[in-house]
Amino acid sequence: MTTIQRVAILGGNRIPFARSNTAYAQASNQQMLTATLQGLVDRFSLHGERLGDVAAGAVMKHSRDFNLVRESVLSTTLSRETPAFDLQQACGTGLEACMVVANKIALGHIDCGIAGGVDTTSDAPIGVNEKMRRILLDAASAKTAGKRLAALSRLRPGMLVTPSLPRNGEPRTGLSMGEHAELMAREWSIAREDQDQLALASHRNFARAYDEGFFTDLMTPFNGISRDNNLRPDLSIEKLRALKPVFDRKVAPGQGTLTAGNSTPLTDGASAVLLASEAWAKARKLPVLAYFSFSEVAAVDFFDRKEGLLMAPAYAVPRLLARAGLTLQDFDYYEIHEAFAAQVLCTLSAWEDKSFCRERLGLAKPLGAIDRSRLNVNGSSLAAGHPFAATGGRIVATLAKLLAQKGAGRGLISICAAGGQGVVAILER
Amino acid sequence: MKIIEVGARRGPLAAMAQLLGAARKPAGPVLELPQVTFVLPRTSLDGAHLAKYRAVCGFTPQQGVPLIYPQLLTFPLMMQFMASSYCPWPAMGTVHLSNRIEQREALHAGDVLRVEMTTGGLFAHDKGQVYTLELRILRADKPVWQATQGLLRVGVKAPAGKAWASSPGGDAALSRQADFAVPADIGRRYGRVSGDMNPIHLSAISARPLGFKRAIAHGMWTKARALAALLPQRPVAAATVAVEFKTPLLLPATASLWVARQQRDTQFEVRDSKGQKPHLRGQLHIGDSSP
Repeated sequence: MTTIQRVAILGGNRIPFARSNTAYAQASNQQMLTATLQGLVDRFSLHGERLGDVAAGAVMKHSRDFNLVRESVLSTTLSRETPAFDLQQACGTGLEACMVVANKIALGHIDCGIAGGVDTTSDAPIGVNEKMRRILLDAASAKTAGKRLAALSRLRPGMLVTPSLPRNGEPRTGLSMGEHAELMAREWSIAREDQDQLALASHRNFARAYDEGFFTDLMTPFNGISRDNNLRPDLSIEKLRALKPVFDRKVAPGQGTLTAGNSTPLTDGASAVLLASEAWAKARKLPVLAYFSFSEVAAVDFFDRKEGLLMAPAYAVPRLLARAGLTLQDFDYYEIHEAFAAQVLCTLSAWEDKSFCRERLGLAKPLGAIDRSRLNVNGSSLAAGHPFAATGGRIVATLAKLLAQKGAGRGLISICAAGGQGVVAILER
Repeated sequence: MKIIEVGARRGPLAAMAQLLGAARKPAGPVLELPQVTFVLPRTSLDGAHLAKYRAVCGFTPQQGVPLIYPQLLTFPLMMQFMASSYCPWPAMGTVHLSNRIEQREALHAGDVLRVEMTTGGLFAHDKGQVYTLELRILRADKPVWQATQGLLRVGVKAPAGKAWASSPGGDAALSRQADFAVPADIGRRYGRVSGDMNPIHLSAISARPLGFKRAIAHGMWTKARALAALLPQRPVAAATVAVEFKTPLLLPATASLWVARQQRDTQFEVRDSKGQKPHLRGQLHIGDSSP
């Protein structure tokens, strides 16, 4: 019989996030994840330690990186006997990795572990043209030189200039994430101005947190940069208002509200979080920042039932609250991943909407409004950027430190992910 | 009130010639605007002409007859008035200041309509004297469309009348919605469709003697171009749109459209490419009650 034990968050580390094709244009996922893990190892003096497990992932991944996390671990000063594995749940990857490691610790299967994520949209995996790939496979499996030649003779020069590129879109709808978010903003009547104000608040809060030195022990410089290069400390509402909508052409011509300012840019970066049992932390005299207490995942049928693609957190949170015996107002901090300002605002509107809460969530009364001054108090993805799999680790480390600074309290994390998924969790101290 | 019936539309050039001929009028302050109504008793909404208008202004067939289009039917009446002795000022040098359109029912190609233009009031403006013209369109004796045209005579000293109040108000924050190109020949193209061949819209050479470095876009084209982007992709029945023209839009240019939407109300501005200088400012309301 196993007893459940509390899961402590001891700290986090990340490299500064960089907009696609800037500072990390030449960096690979493995380099970024290795640097991030090594930074964490250095900060907590884990050199030579055998950790229980390291779970991380990348959304955009080369096929050669099948063992990305284990290879990265091998490049650090951790014990070579530290196991590791890759997992992937789109933008929920980092938080899902935390859940998996936390659950192992909770059950006593391991004492400690690292969870994280990494992503690059600069060093993207480009595949050969699909027809060309078939020909190359045929040639490789041909048993005679003649058959191999026959296969290769089907190659055409055009195949070289039309490679298979990764798409930032939903396979089932053919729409990009931004187009889906634009549709959601229309459905929930989210005003452009409200989105721009949320983006501005994110940058301001993030810049203030930098000024206060909040990120100093959460970050390791990499490739010559020591702060996230998407942050615009001098951003103004006028600059945000001056940007044109970018996702409206297909879904809402001339009516768009999502711009480059209130949507996250493609970003490169990596993050990692150190989780452990209290006993393990105590033995190493490592202070506990916060505890990982509840988690929940949900998915919506965005295709047939036409629920908004990024609305799954709106479903996941009430389920999480019910299990935890809490209300939406019982939190000191709300960390809602800002994939798009519209996503955050749609989610908040949904929780306040009577008919949505009754008909879609099956609740007697709406979850209600949150105290907006507790939302993303130190900024979020609109300012930091959003390297898909690395966002979860950034948020967990940020919230854990916020709770540690406050001394006691509770925080809610909500992350939307491709495929109509939502990954949410509660941290407490 | 004197009522003058106007015959069928005449060629725009003949009308322009008449206007230029009427240029020798005094430019001083006017104490009273003569009350007169010009009437075009029967005209039909020409589908082929509408198609040309759509092409020049950017409307789609899905938008039906845009509520700004019927204004073109009133143009011959305004021309006649300006050329007549009832109009106290020359047509040339009069600045189009504002335009407010209220449509009650959707119009359709082929509709048989009665078009009226009545002189309105006099107003004192910072830059001179304003007079208004009331435009009305009836279908089967039922008023379906009306508009108020504000015209400014610049430089009139001590103008008579109540102080002119800017109508399209609202202080919502506007955000950039779209950019659009304003081609060099748009004045000539819109001029051919609308009949307004005022030389300030045609070419730099013809505009220069009238004080413009280059030709300027017709205010009503700029308004139409903005509405093409703002109106939904379906015919609209009841709607109101009021604009005030702020600064001339010199050709060619890239203009930017700035909006703030709130349910059925849209506040908008057409600005320069940098988004700083406003060319026109307006308010659109879709539905029955006025904004």
